[in-house]
Amino acid sequence: MFQKMIDDSMKRSPWIFHINAGSCNGCDIELVSVLTPRYDAERFGFRLTGSPRQADIVVVSGPITLQSRDRMIRTLAQVPEPFCVVSLGSCPRSGNVFKGSYAIDGPLEKWTHVDVSVGGCTPKPEAIIAALAKASAILEEKRKAMRQADKADKEKRS
Amino acid sequence: MLPYVGRALSNLFRKPATERFPKTDAPEPAKNYRGRLSYDPTKCINCGQCIRVCAPQAMTRTIEDVDSETQKITFTFDMTSCTYCGLCADFCSQHTITMSNDYMIVGTKPEDFMVTGSFLKKKPVAPKFTPEQIAAMKAAAAKKKAEADAAKAAKAGE
Repeated sequence: MFQKMIDDSMKRSPWIFHINAGSCNGCDIELVSVLTPRYDAERFGFRLTGSPRQADIVVVSGPITLQSRDRMIRTLAQVPEPFCVVSLGSCPRSGNVFKGSYAIDGPLEKWTHVDVSVGGCTPKPEAIIAALAKASAILEEKRKAMRQADKADKEKRS
Repeated sequence: MLPYVGRALSNLFRKPATERFPKTDAPEPAKNYRGRLSYDPTKCINCGQCIRVCAPQAMTRTIEDVDSETQKITFTFDMTSCTYCGLCADFCSQHTITMSNDYMIVGTKPEDFMVTGSFLKKKPVAPKFTPEQIAAMKAAAAKKKAEADAAKAAKAGE
């Protein structure tokens, strides 16, 4: 009973954790502007957290530089399941203008699952809001699937 | 004090500063905004200038032979690889590539970000020669080569 209540409330507050994997700061500024009064994503419950352990949606920006790669993987490992990964801008998916550079080790798909991607260099805040809404819908489905798997597992054991 | 009261009262009845975006349509971007590019294959002449000027190498061109005379040329533009600099649109002599103002580049699959177009093009006609002409050309080439060899031998002998 409590589980359902918790799930319902979690649906309305997907918290975001932002990883900068060598981004030029353009996408980071746009992501922060999504939380400003003009676009105000907080009315849907999106909130930037400071810790990956509290995150539901992980937003990755930047072309995965060699310096940030290991730290990104370590951070992603700390995010509790289920979580969504959103790749922000052109860089994480392809490397953008840094494609083929010795200093980057992308794309992001190589290291983790990517649920929603936003194209653009940089994407507009409206596009980011649409992507986050999509990510939270996917997250809900993932959570549902996880609960069902848990239930099936419990029945099997008893 | 009074002006503040006036502002406070007027704010009570004003529209909120927040954009109501997900409930309404996405607002129009600024003039000359460079969004998802659009490609019109009927006008393309396959000059390849866009591929030359593209810094992130966002386009791929495939050329297949349909029959002995025509080729099918397909251009694919990857919108998650694009920097949206607009150079391809500037260099396109036929105005085949234009930057639209659609900035909602959000998707879950790589296919969501591809802009493709293909067209048929006649192959350039190979020059046709009669056997006599070919024999004459071969003889001329052999004569030229013999002269060059003789000159080389004379130079080595000196």
